[in-house]
Amino acid sequence: MRYQADVRDVAYRYDGSFAGFLCCVFESFTQREIPSLIAAPDAEQLVLFEMRDIPTETEKARRVATGLKRLGMTVYERVAVGFLSCAEEKDLILLRFIRLCFAQGGQAAQMLGHTQVAQAFALERAVNNEICRMIELLRFEEKDGMLGAQIHPQNRVLPMLRAHFCSRLPDDDFLIYDATHKEALLRRNGQVQFLRMERYEASAEPDELAWQTLWKRFFKALTIEERRNEKLQTQHVPLRYRQDMPEMRKDILQT
Amino acid sequence: MNLEEKLEILADSAKYDVACTSSGVDRAGQHGKLGSCRAAGICHAFTPDGRCVSLLKVLYSNACCYDCSYCVNRRSNDRPRASFTPRELADLTIGFYKRNYIEGLFLSSAVIQSPDRTMELMIRALRILREEYGFNGYIHAKTIPGADPMLVQQLGLLADRLSVNIELPSEVSLNQLAPDKKKASILRPMKQIAVQNAQSKRELAVYRHAPAFAPAGQSTQMIIGATPENDRHIMDLTEALYKKYTLKRVFYSAYLPVVEDSRLPALQTKPPLLREHRLYQADWLLRYYHFSARELLTEEEPNFDPYLDPKCTWALRHPAFFPVEVNTADRAALLRVPGIGPKSADRILQARRLQHLGMLELKQIGVVLKRAQYFITCSGRAPCHGTRAEIAAALLDPKAFSVGVQQMSLDDFIAKPLPFAAPELHKLTESGMAAGKAARLLKEEALQCVTRRM
Repeated sequence: MRYQADVRDVAYRYDGSFAGFLCCVFESFTQREIPSLIAAPDAEQLVLFEMRDIPTETEKARRVATGLKRLGMTVYERVAVGFLSCAEEKDLILLRFIRLCFAQGGQAAQMLGHTQVAQAFALERAVNNEICRMIELLRFEEKDGMLGAQIHPQNRVLPMLRAHFCSRLPDDDFLIYDATHKEALLRRNGQVQFLRMERYEASAEPDELAWQTLWKRFFKALTIEERRNEKLQTQHVPLRYRQDMPEMRKDILQT
Repeated sequence: MNLEEKLEILADSAKYDVACTSSGVDRAGQHGKLGSCRAAGICHAFTPDGRCVSLLKVLYSNACCYDCSYCVNRRSNDRPRASFTPRELADLTIGFYKRNYIEGLFLSSAVIQSPDRTMELMIRALRILREEYGFNGYIHAKTIPGADPMLVQQLGLLADRLSVNIELPSEVSLNQLAPDKKKASILRPMKQIAVQNAQSKRELAVYRHAPAFAPAGQSTQMIIGATPENDRHIMDLTEALYKKYTLKRVFYSAYLPVVEDSRLPALQTKPPLLREHRLYQADWLLRYYHFSARELLTEEEPNFDPYLDPKCTWALRHPAFFPVEVNTADRAALLRVPGIGPKSADRILQARRLQHLGMLELKQIGVVLKRAQYFITCSGRAPCHGTRAEIAAALLDPKAFSVGVQQMSLDDFIAKPLPFAAPELHKLTESGMAAGKAARLLKEEALQCVTRRM
């Protein structure tokens, strides 16, 4: 089935939520158009097009979500995970990908040689890669009887960290603070909440500092000087993540 | 001695063990326990030498009663000795694990009094961890050659992965350098682990709660460059180990001279890192690319080319196999093309069901066209016609000529060959040539050499 649509000089503005984005998809199909821009309200962009506010309606979002799931979980996951990306134009890339999948069926997601599919795939992969990095490089510290961690990811990876850490620490309370987007994932008494948070104070408890010192000494002892290869290290641990890792910080221990 | 010093000494003694993987077992978290496992494995930190830290890699003790001449912990070496108590080790593991520093514990040990005694102590520590603290994360334990099979079995029920180090690639070298270890005492536990692991898998298929014996399989490691074996011998051994004992991994460790000994390379010898790298590349070709050891190395060329990776070498030697048509070739044929790996091969198979693949599509799929373009056709057309010199230049491994500044101290700005550079490059710079010039010279020479072979 073909869904005809033209690119029009119109910009969609939505509330930045996933449901809101799905409503934009709905709008695009009902109006038979592809907008020139889809913008979340906090994105400050100079817009030369006519601006249309898209209200978030649960019913419409649910319909689109059901349709996407009917195309297969590959498609749905690519959209849901790709949406967490903070790349510019991610909304348009995903919209084009969704339109292609609705037109050609769910198997279109496998056409990795197709530009629009490749772009959506790249979004999903970048987010997934960062999620893996975060699972590797996130460092908890004990603070006020619970575990706390601060991260600086480029994408909104918090929702995807939930399952991993809830499974790993089934009986512990913890908080993960995303300093880039000022959001936090809080798990307390078996309940998970996503919060807005302004700042996070690192723990200064002597016990905790002792553990960090211990870890840092272990890390230092493991290095084989004859094999030194910092380029390789940087490939695995990009500099932007190092601020949150005790073994990479210089200030804690200089013995 | 406090815990910090102990940890430092025992980590320092364990660092030459290469196996630090946490892969092979998927286990979800459970209330009342701590931890989970992922089959792909998770690395948590990377040291300045670029190696990953996935597990808390320590020795239980480094007070060894053996005297293997290649080993830092041998009896006759003068260095600080320490031993953990089982509880210290368990507390340390839990503390690090909760903070997401590590994925679990890698426990090895020097031989204290006797192999059996050592294994008993290790088992006691693991038991506290698993049963008392409810630790559900990854444990890799090393069996001590010569220990009782009953102890190996107990260890296997507590650990996820077991390993027995084969240490040196031949029996002659083993007798010469490690007189306390016998070939039989290494291979016997290896066989036992393989048999019991297979048996436990069969039982688990029938009874869901049957005890799992080393569910992540076993691995081994050997030292490269301390003894005169060639690469072909090592690859044959590796292949045999994979086939006979269903090993998950074989690790190679470039020999770092730690002692002056007439039977070993001199102290100034650089560790053969490039050779180690080539062996790992070949190891990957065995496990993921369906190559066999005898295909990679011939009797006339028993060692890997320092300037070309093993896959490119194979491609150069078999021009009749190419070009491969990307739109119809099967997976095995695609995997033989330099620049196409398992991931891009799978993506090609997926994508070509729905569309024809040309150069643009391949690029978007993620194929390394720099190398692949000379070995493929897209719908019958060759995407690129290169001269022999161009093809050779695309195939040469830039790693072998890498030169750069590594700051050991603050005032060190002179470019030097990086650790992975070819041994020839190290030799040229040591004889006084500037590193950049030496690299250019060597590259030209290698280029001519490869062009002539085509």
